[in-house]
Amino acid sequence: MKISTRGRYGLRALLDLAMHADQGCVALSDIAHRQDLSFNYLEGIFAHLKRAGLVIGIAGSMGGYTLAKPSETISLYEILSVLEGDLSVTDPVMQNEESDIRTFIRQNVWDVLDHSIESTLKNTTVAGLTKSFQFQEDSNQCSCL
Amino acid sequence: MKLSTKSRYALEGLLYITAYSPKEAVRIKQIAEYTKISVAYLEQIFFLLKKSGLLTAIRGSKGGYALALPPEEITVGMIIRSIETHIVPVACVTNLSACNSRVRANCVSRQIWIDLNQSINQVVDHLTLKDLSERYLTQKEA
Repeated sequence: MKISTRGRYGLRALLDLAMHADQGCVALSDIAHRQDLSFNYLEGIFAHLKRAGLVIGIAGSMGGYTLAKPSETISLYEILSVLEGDLSVTDPVMQNEESDIRTFIRQNVWDVLDHSIESTLKNTTVAGLTKSFQFQEDSNQCSCL
Repeated sequence: MKLSTKSRYALEGLLYITAYSPKEAVRIKQIAEYTKISVAYLEQIFFLLKKSGLLTAIRGSKGGYALALPPEEITVGMIIRSIETHIVPVACVTNLSACNSRVRANCVSRQIWIDLNQSINQVVDHLTLKDLSERYLTQKEA
């Protein structure tokens, strides 16, 4: 039960983009540098995020990427569904192929787990996550003074 | 983010034992017939459950498998952890040095993995075999 490399790296890159979006377009090379990720890998991930409508790409020498909508309106559920695909802990069931005990466990355990995961991810937005991260960073810096 | 088939079948096997044979040992063949899981696959799974101390094997003519602990003490989380080495969605949740990134010390996304891990544990660590088997038997009777 693991989040893939694509999910982990993609999310980190997108959160980095969100934190620097106030400066206009963000270049992938800057994200790659700050997040210690490969530029080529990010190109692939961002092409995918763009197709899914989460980011907008702008061409040109000052170009780069920006979020397609306000960070308060993007939930982690939306991002991880794009990066990871189906987030359920089990595969979808074939009709009429389940024993009673399997159906019971699916309804009473796996579906409950899926709902819990879903609600945690839906209740977390990009803005919420980056704000609490920046607050933490700031307080770390203050404690060093 | 899928659970392995082994984990799911482990729960089926243990739930069967709890619901239908709480006092006596059960043969794998009987569980296989009810759950439609193959005997060979159940043997592999039960070997792991025995190793982690959730099942005991009993020899002899009345032999088979029995729960090693009372069913109210066995949670879904314990069963999954016996089969999969990790239940955490990302390794850094429990061990930051498992992450190879140079920037791991100020990672923007670690918090959501920690939250996700908590919401998984909240479910699996609170469901016991006893609750599940009571609910299953009630549903069967209805």
